[in-house]
Amino acid sequence: MSQGKSELTVGEMLLQHGISRRRFIKFCTATASALALPPWMGPAMAEQLRNSPRPSVIYLSFQECTGCVESLTRSFAPTIENLIFNFISLDYDDTLMAAAGEAAETARAKAMKDHFGKYVLLVDGSVPTGAGGAYCTSGGRSAEDTLREAAKGAAAIVCVGTCSSFGGIPFADPNPTGAWPVSAIVGDKPIINVSGCPPMPEVITGTLLQFVTTGQVPDLDEHRRPKVFFGNTIHDRCYRRPFYDQGKFAKTFDDEGARNGWCLYELGCKGPTTYNSCATIKWNGGTSFPIESGHGCIGCSEPGFWDKGSFYSPLSSAAWGKAGEVAPRQVLELTAGAAAVGVALGVASAGVSRLRQRHSEQRTDGETKGS
Amino acid sequence: MSRLTDIPIRIEGPAIAGGPRSDPAPSPGLDFGVSSSGVSAILAELARLLDQLAEKDIPAAIDLRSLPLSPQDRAELKQALGNGEVEASVNAEGVSTLRETRISGVWWVEHRDAHGELIAELLEVARVPEILASASDEIAAAAHTLRERLSVAARPC
Repeated sequence: MSQGKSELTVGEMLLQHGISRRRFIKFCTATASALALPPWMGPAMAEQLRNSPRPSVIYLSFQECTGCVESLTRSFAPTIENLIFNFISLDYDDTLMAAAGEAAETARAKAMKDHFGKYVLLVDGSVPTGAGGAYCTSGGRSAEDTLREAAKGAAAIVCVGTCSSFGGIPFADPNPTGAWPVSAIVGDKPIINVSGCPPMPEVITGTLLQFVTTGQVPDLDEHRRPKVFFGNTIHDRCYRRPFYDQGKFAKTFDDEGARNGWCLYELGCKGPTTYNSCATIKWNGGTSFPIESGHGCIGCSEPGFWDKGSFYSPLSSAAWGKAGEVAPRQVLELTAGAAAVGVALGVASAGVSRLRQRHSEQRTDGETKGS
Repeated sequence: MSRLTDIPIRIEGPAIAGGPRSDPAPSPGLDFGVSSSGVSAILAELARLLDQLAEKDIPAAIDLRSLPLSPQDRAELKQALGNGEVEASVNAEGVSTLRETRISGVWWVEHRDAHGELIAELLEVARVPEILASASDEIAAAAHTLRERLSVAARPC
């Protein structure tokens, strides 16, 4: 995938391809708008990118299901083609690249050498350390060795998905492969977590684009997630929120409340404790998001979502809250009687939110165990 | 009442040249009978951004798609801003329409994709929106191309 033109600026490359500055400004403006970035970011993004060479990007896949790459390839703004051909030089991605075997590994080694200290490392999947790393190997090397080697020359690491961010499904009890998130193995590089199972495609490309544009790690929350995309709960931005405030809840998936679009809290929706952009950016080019399709949020962008009980138990009766920070008993005390009274629900949700902020410096289960 | 300036004066018509001045009246056709607090907030923000443009030459923009505007709010905003003298369109992977409103320096900008879908809608506060200007590197490349064509045309057959 390396075109050998990484010295050319994006602007020069666009000019060669007959893509006008106006088209580029329009694209950047639309991208900033789609990603809910401040409007000044569009022209600033265009100016910065035009005068910069395409940064080298290396994408490593470890213990994962490829759902994150499936998500990435469905990004609408910017599209993955646009991203690859115009803004980045994707020098290694064993799922997307045409090369295989030695040719692929040689491309990765060359990119790491040529762009040492400058490339962006994307990691998808958790890192299994059990059985000497035998659960996940590529080219005869364990995932852990590959990660440690690639991390050395990276300007920053972007963890794509909940597995590389927090351990994910492989980390679930009893964690048979000894899986860890990237942050438990690499401690000396800036790490940006783009969690979700899978993460939203526009959040992956938007985070990458923002980093490429500014050269800076964006403002992150206590889980190292970009605040611009993870600053609000699903519940805060949910179109069903007015029903929650009125105490109108669906009791089953096919009752009158469900048909009227009432709040799915009592059916297990984890929107009040889940930070993500699904309710604003939405999926499939802005078509909808799970709650709009009638199913509650399962909280897939939160650490430990895999070990917190049923997706269909309401928050007040589930061991939810924040892994390692809010004990189930605290959640239960805060939410006592909440399922019956809408006002009490609001107080409980605010209480969990306050606890979350109070413990903002603490790390997740996976991050703590591994550090 | 000992001086002329002590006499109370009430202006009942528009100010005329050389006559007594009142606060500047809105341009004819502008309707500022705004009922939505959201629209009022946008207009107040535009006034602040216009000051910034006039005093420091810093352009700015408001992303209309990021605001919770109802269709009524949108209609009210359009009526409040009105249509100005300039309208331009850019054909670049879909049509972009740029209309200056009756508030000088405020442009209503719509970007559409190749399928006609609205992909961005902004109020730009600028002397001229950035997208309309020709780029320096493209001008230089165009000059080079033009000279090449001229040299080819000048060659004897």
